[in-house]
Amino acid sequence: MIELVNISKSYDGKINVIEKLNLKINKGEIVVLIGESGCGKTTTLRMINRLNEPTGGTIMIDGQDYKKMSKIELRRQLGYVIQKVGLMPHLTVGKNIEMIPELKGWDKEKRKERAYELLTTVDLPPEDYYDRYPHELSGGQQQRVGVARALAVNPDIILMDEPFSALDPVTREQLQKELLRLQDELGKTIVFVTHDMDEALKIGDRIAVMKDGKIIQYDTPEEILKNPADDFVEYFVGKDRLWKSPEMLRASDIMHKSLITVGQRRTPAQVIEVMKEKDLETLFIVEKETSKPQPPIGYITRESLREQGSNESKMSDICNREFETVQHDSKMTDVLKIMDNKLVRSLPVLDDNGNLIGMITRASILNLITKAVVNEEENQ
Amino acid sequence: MNDMNFFQFMASRSDELIRLTIQHIQITGLAVLLAVMLGVPVGIFISKNRSLRSPILGLANVFQTIPSLALFGLIIPLLGTGYVPSVFVLFLYALLPIIKNTFIGINSVEESIIDAGRGMGMTTNQILTKVEMPLALPVIMGGIRISTVINIGTATIAALIGAGGLGEMIFKGISMASDNMVLAGAVPTALLAIFMDKVLGMVETKLTPIGITSQKDKAN
Ligand SMILES: Nc1ncnc2c1ncn2[C@@H]1O[C@H](COP(=O)(O)OP(=O)(O)O)[C@@H](O)[C@H]1O
Ligand SMILES: [Mg+2]
Repeated sequence: MIELVNISKSYDGKINVIEKLNLKINKGEIVVLIGESGCGKTTTLRMINRLNEPTGGTIMIDGQDYKKMSKIELRRQLGYVIQKVGLMPHLTVGKNIEMIPELKGWDKEKRKERAYELLTTVDLPPEDYYDRYPHELSGGQQQRVGVARALAVNPDIILMDEPFSALDPVTREQLQKELLRLQDELGKTIVFVTHDMDEALKIGDRIAVMKDGKIIQYDTPEEILKNPADDFVEYFVGKDRLWKSPEMLRASDIMHKSLITVGQRRTPAQVIEVMKEKDLETLFIVEKETSKPQPPIGYITRESLREQGSNESKMSDICNREFETVQHDSKMTDVLKIMDNKLVRSLPVLDDNGNLIGMITRASILNLITKAVVNEEENQ
Repeated sequence: MNDMNFFQFMASRSDELIRLTIQHIQITGLAVLLAVMLGVPVGIFISKNRSLRSPILGLANVFQTIPSLALFGLIIPLLGTGYVPSVFVLFLYALLPIIKNTFIGINSVEESIIDAGRGMGMTTNQILTKVEMPLALPVIMGGIRISTVINIGTATIAALIGAGGLGEMIFKGISMASDNMVLAGAVPTALLAIFMDKVLGMVETKLTPIGITSQKDKAN
C-alpha cells in the first residue's frame, strides 16, 4: 500500500505545484492520476520514487516511512515506465532488461533466464528479440521492453507516466489490454498517469482527478462517471461519456423512477381509467397502493383488459404473473438483451430486497439516446 | 647535394628522419595523452556543473586562440626551452577539443535515458559509466582525433624552442634555403597527420556501440 500524506511540492520555494495532497493506494490496485497538462501528475508520481523530493508531508509504503530506505533501494523496489521509454540505445533488449539484475549482482544464467521469462510475458518472443537493439523495434515493442525492464527485479509497485501516450491508437489499445492481463496475472500495484479519460476509465480500478495540484475526486470509474464531484470533473469526463461507455450503465441509471402501479384489489374498469389517463399500455400490480417499495405481483395490459370487458374481478385474479425482471445493478447490455429477446415492453427493476423501484421501457431507452445525441451536438 | 631529387635526399637522411619522426610522435603523443587525462574528467565535470561550465570552456578557448608561435614564445620565460615546455604548450592546445567534446558527448545523451536509469535505481556513477560514457565515447574520440591532428602540425613549431621533431628539419631547411630539406620535414608531418586521422577514425568507429552505429546507418 502506498500512502501520500499531506504532500506538498514547490520547485521554486514560492508556488506550491502540489498542495497538501492525500492519496491512498491499496495493494493490487491500478490507480490512475488524471488531469490537464501541468496539474502535477508527473510531479506526484516522481515523488513516490523520490526523483522529486516533497517539500512537505510524508509518503508511507506498506506502513513504513519511505525515507527509511536509501533512494537507490527504494527505486529498485518500484518499477518505473515513462512515455519516452528511455531504453539504453547501446545495449541489446536483453541487456536493457538485465541492467538492474546485473547491478544487483545476479549471475549471468539467472539474468538471462529472467529476461527470457519477461520477454515472453510482454509477448515478444525472446529468441527473436533478446539480441536486438532498441532502434530496431517499433514504438509499441519498445514500450513492451520498457515494461519488461520495470518488472525485472519483480517489484510490487509499478509507476507509469503516460506510458502509452506516444503510441498509435491500435497499439495503445493492445498495450492497455495487456497491462490489465498482466495485472490479473501478477497482481501488481500500479500508479498510472494519463491525460486520456478513455484510458483512465478502461484501466483504472480507481481514478484520481487532479486540478492545480489537488485531487478533486478519487473514486471508481463508475462513480466518476455517474456522480462527478463538481463541474470540472463533469467537464473533464465529458457529459456524453456515460453513453459512450455503455458497460458502465446500470439498470438503475436508465429506468423511469416515477413509478405508476396499481393495487391488486382494483377492478378492470378502474385500471383502464388509469391507463387512459397516463397513456400506458402496461401496468404493474402491487399489493397495496402505498409509496413504500414492494415486490411486483404481476402485470396487466390494456389489450387483455379490453378482452375481459367490464366485470368485478380483481387484478390479483386476472393479472399475468409471468414476467422478466432485472436487478438495479444489472448492466445495460444485459437489459437490452432481455428486452430484445423476449420482446418485453416494460421491464421492472428490483432493489436488493426484490422490491420494485423503477421501470425500463423502450421510451426510457429512447430518452437516454436522445439526451446523449443532444449533448453531442452541444459539444460540437 | 642540390642535384639530388627529393626522394634521394630523403633516403640519404633516413636515419635522421626516423629519429625526428619518433620524436615528433612522442611529443604530440604525450601532450594528447596528458590532455585526455585532464580534459575528459574536466569535460565530465562541467557537464554536471553548470556554473563552472562557461569559465572553464572560456579558459580553454583562450589557449586555443593565442597563435601557437606566441604561446611557444611566452612559455620560455616560465619553463625555459626544450622538451617539457613544448609538451606543455601542445597539451594546452589539445585540451579544448577534448573538454568540449566530452562535455557535448555527455550532454547530448537523451534526458529520457538518464531519467529511466535514475528511476530504476542506478547510482550517478553507474549512469556515468554504464550509460553516459559509452554513449559519449565516439564524440570524445572525435575530440581526441582533432587534438591529435592539430598537434601534429603545431608540434613542428615546437622545434623553435628546442623540442626536436620534424619541425627541426623544416626550420633547418628554411635557414639553409633547401627546398628538399623543408619538404623532407613537411611531407612526413602531413603524412603522419593523415595517417593518425585515419587510425583514430577507425578507433572511433570501433568504439561506437553497435546499437548506435546501425542507428546512424539507418538514418543515412
Ligand atoms: N523541474 C521542474 N522545475 C520547475 N517547475 C516544474 C518542474 N517540473 C514541473 N514543473 C511545474 O510543475 C507543475 C506540474 O508539472 P507536472 O507535474 O509535470 O504536470 P503534469 O505531469 O500533470 O503535466 C507545472 O506547472 C510545471 O510547470
Ligand atoms: Mg506529465
